[in-house]
Parts: sequence; C-alpha cells; structure tokens
Amino acid sequence: MFSGASAELLRKSLRRSWLFITWIPVVYTFNEHVCYIGKIEGSSMRPTFNPAVNSSDYVLLWKWNIRDPENLNYNDVVLLKSPMNPQKVFAKRIKGVQGDVIMTRYPYPREKCTVPTSHLWVEGDNIHSIDSNTFGPISTGLVVGKATRIIYPFSRWGEIPEGGRECRLSRLSEYA
Amino acid sequence: MSVISKSPFNNYPDPTQTAPPMSETLIYMRTLASWILKTGCAIHYVHSNVYELKESRGESMLTTLNTSFDYVHTLKTYQNGNGVKNGDVIVALKPIDPHQRVCKRITGMPGDVIIIDPSNGSTHGRFESKYMVVPEGHCWVTGDNLSHSLDSRSYSVIPLGLIKGKIVAANDFNGSWRSLWGFRWIENAFVKE
Repeated sequence: MFSGASAELLRKSLRRSWLFITWIPVVYTFNEHVCYIGKIEGSSMRPTFNPAVNSSDYVLLWKWNIRDPENLNYNDVVLLKSPMNPQKVFAKRIKGVQGDVIMTRYPYPREKCTVPTSHLWVEGDNIHSIDSNTFGPISTGLVVGKATRIIYPFSRWGEIPEGGRECRLSRLSEYA
Repeated sequence: MSVISKSPFNNYPDPTQTAPPMSETLIYMRTLASWILKTGCAIHYVHSNVYELKESRGESMLTTLNTSFDYVHTLKTYQNGNGVKNGDVIVALKPIDPHQRVCKRITGMPGDVIIIDPSNGSTHGRFESKYMVVPEGHCWVTGDNLSHSLDSRSYSVIPLGLIKGKIVAANDFNGSWRSLWGFRWIENAFVKE
C-alpha cells in the first residue's frame, strides 16, 4: 500500500503522537499539584490585579502542599472555588487565618467573626468585592492555588503588591 | 589510530567519535523511569477525574458501609457536586480538616429547610428544634449512623466545591468470595413524602 519511505514516515509520526499523548497525564499532574498559570478576571482585586478596565492578568499559581496551614499566610493572594458556585473561581487576599477574630464589614450579619479551624477569611482588595463579608470564612479545601507573581502583562512582572485593609482584631488594637 | 582505539586496554574516549554512546543499562533505566512516571500520572488522572476504589473506614456510615475493609467505588464525574441529588452518598473533603475525606449522605440541597438536629430537643423532653435554609451552592450532609457521626450537625453546611465524588457501589472484603466479596450497589435513599 505504502512505499517504503512513506510507511517509515507514517510509523514515525504515529510514534511521535503516541509519545506526545503519554506525556499529557504527566503535564496534568504537574499543573494540578505543583504549579500552573491562572487568569484573573474582574474588578474585585483592583488595583492589585487588572488596574485597567477590561484587562486580565496572568499569575503564577503555586499549588504544592497548598492545603497546609503554614503555606496559607496573612496577605497571600489565593484562588479559590466560589462557595456559591463551584464552577467559578475567585481571586482573593487572605485577611485572617484560623483562630483570628475579624472585624467584619457591611453585608456580614455580625460585627465580629472568629475564623474556625482550617478556614480562611478572604477579602478582595477592592471594596466592591464579593468576599468573606458576604459568604463567611471559607474552608482551605476550596483553595485552588496561591498566586505568587504576576507574569503577564510584562510591564507589571514580578511580586504581587500588598493591598487590602487590616481587619484582625488583635492587630487593630495597635492602631487605636 | 584505529589500532589504539580498538585496544581493550584503552579507556580514553575515541577522539573521532562526536558523542560517547549511552550505555545500554542507562537507556533502559531512563525508559523504565519515564514509563513509571507516565503510568503513575495516568492512574492519578483517572483517580481524580473518573473513578476510584478506596477503603472507607469509620462508624459514621454504618449499616450502609462497614467500619473497615469496605472498599467503595467512587465516580469522580460527580465532583464539585455536579449532578448530585438528595439521598446520594458522597465523598467530600472535611471542611474543618481538608486533609481528611469523609463519606456522608446528602440530606439537604440548596433551598431546603433543615431541622438542625431532630434528636436534640426530644431527649430533654422539650422541643427546641432550630431550622435553617441551605444556602446557594451548599449542601447538608449527615452520616447514616446519626448517633456516631461528625457531620453537618457540628460543622454546618458544606460547599459543593468540597465534594470529590459520588459512591455508586461498595465491596465489603469481610464477606466471602461467594457473595462477590460483598458487592452491592449503593442506592439513593431519599423518599419523597
């Protein structure tokens, strides 16, 4: 059917594509557990991310051992599954870890909230943000990854700037 | 030149050759390692997205699942609460310790009104049952063994995002091979009244 040369070419390309397919699960596992690139949309983290309207930032997502409490610290930016709709992913800043007492903001029904074990208090840097003041502390099991640096747009390449407010009761007393 | 390079006592690399050939064992080891890595990752992919067989331990699901050596067949296509219904048995991350996974039955979906603990008031002879509405994107889970289960009655509703899969069948390896190692389907126990 095939002459020698084209049969050889076919065999070679089949072998190439088979090799390519077998590496897909490896890439998947790496992206799921070590690091990945996350796209950030929306205005809830403005001005840290997406300072311009209708732009989207790309960040390096670190996922290794992400559910360990020592890897989720105050002021880290995390991507988490929305508690209201698991298909959606939010980018928020950790404003309290387990045991912290939080002074909450408007939509929250009570004035203070103690963050339970293995939970986080997350807020957007923008005050117009759907965050823990709406849905309460979230379980660390919902965290998808930690954003460690901005990689695109290249003009803002580098570390993620600090942002947001201080809302831990133990630290707020220092300001009083 | 050829005489020197062919000598069995000469250990120096042959200057006429551009790259020294890799030894057979090294190539073999490299191929083996790459296939072990690929197979492991492929198994991991299937375990996290399609299907998993895993032992379930603990008393909280007694009468449905045994305390040990009971292996559950989990379909991961139901993860993130994708298509789960009231009465399904699910595997979820424990909200107060996400390193652990729990196996519970869904007894309330978003919008349902829940009596927080039906046994609470009656034991003291007074009825002070508290009610709550399950919020959007959450569910209420309880163990089948209500008297020995840490579930939504203690940690309240869990987000659907913590659900990792639905249990469709189980194999109790305490049973004999004649009963197919105690194979049975785990069915939806919800009865509409």
